[in-house]
Amino acid sequence: MSSHDAKAMRPGAIDPPMPLAHHFDTPGQQAGSAKFGMWVFLATEILMFSGLFLAYFVVRMLYPEMVLSSHELLDKTMGGVNTVVLLTSSFTMAMAVRAAQLGDQKGVVRNIILTILFAFVFMGVKYVEYTGKFAHGIFPGKYFDYVAAGEYAREHGHVLAGKPHIFFGLYFVMTGLHGVHVLAGIGVLTWVLLRARKGEFGPRYYAPVENVGLYWHIVDLVWIFLFPLLYLVR
Amino acid sequence: MVDAHKIEDDLVFLNGEALGPEEAVEIQEHVSPLSLYYKVLSALFVLTGLTYAVSYLDLGELGLPVAMFVAVIKVSLVCTYFMHLKHDDRYHVFVFLSTLLFVGIFFTFILFDLSSRDRLSDEQGTFFQQRMDPDKGMPSRQPGFGPGLTPALPPGAAPAATVAPEATAEPAAEDKAEHDAGAH
Repeated sequence: MSSHDAKAMRPGAIDPPMPLAHHFDTPGQQAGSAKFGMWVFLATEILMFSGLFLAYFVVRMLYPEMVLSSHELLDKTMGGVNTVVLLTSSFTMAMAVRAAQLGDQKGVVRNIILTILFAFVFMGVKYVEYTGKFAHGIFPGKYFDYVAAGEYAREHGHVLAGKPHIFFGLYFVMTGLHGVHVLAGIGVLTWVLLRARKGEFGPRYYAPVENVGLYWHIVDLVWIFLFPLLYLVR
Repeated sequence: MVDAHKIEDDLVFLNGEALGPEEAVEIQEHVSPLSLYYKVLSALFVLTGLTYAVSYLDLGELGLPVAMFVAVIKVSLVCTYFMHLKHDDRYHVFVFLSTLLFVGIFFTFILFDLSSRDRLSDEQGTFFQQRMDPDKGMPSRQPGFGPGLTPALPPGAAPAATVAPEATAEPAAEDKAEHDAGAH
């Protein structure tokens, strides 16, 4: 129905027609249902990550020395750069939604491309961090190489106490699950980008942009807590 | 196609507000001004710099609350403005906050239990056969690794007779589980 109308419009059209599924009465109801569904999904995401955060706090409570000595091996600056990258990507995502609200087709495409680029920068920094850790025997759980990691810590003037493999197990699982979410985010952002390039989004219909944006902001929120807990807190 | 979703009912409820047939066709969305987004982004950068700088100070016990406080401010900024919760349907705020409530219950009960059960056991006179200091719990398989890797039992202490032999040889990760399993 709407695709026929869309072809009749000039490229870069300001307000493409809005598709309304037959089971909705109004576009507002349709957009509201989509957004409500997204929020319920985000609630499950928060609950899933909360289990890992709780594991972190329990381990920290039971083995404070181990957490405080192990986290010295993480690179604060790389974590900080990734925080800035992710916050900026959240900003560009919000700008993409705003551009869609205003019918700025080019703005939507440009901001989503920027968001995807920032996501790749984030994963690039993560790759450098992970390979750096692996090179010094810092693997999660039972693959942890105590001798290599101990030497690496001593070179940097730190002494590893207790059970560093537990801390790094948490580190890899928490940042790893977060990284999986970033990769999924790149996937859905690409989907929205392809649709945005066809000029499907405008002031009356932009629920996919907005919902992908909400997902992307949740990924950002998780990192806002991960960064100080894993990299900074002493 | 506009005709297909023309509103014929007298009253339509949208985002919790009763709307006339004309208004209900439009999606009620608030467009925030550009300057607001720049302000929020700069505030987020400043707060990130702040946590980064504070991490070099030795605040001791205060380190965690300060870092969490700044993180909560950052998260509220992102939720309020980037996720549009401020101008959104209030029901989404309810979903979000009730999630946080349940996370709070989850955290409170488990952390309260873990932090108070030792004291409660002492009060009740519950005796644990094997109690390990968290920092001395690592089996001494990796000697000379650090101050934390001293043997599981202090030199003077006699091993409890009823401890299962495999308990001391278990990997350190199970220390707490072993300890808990010993409760009667």
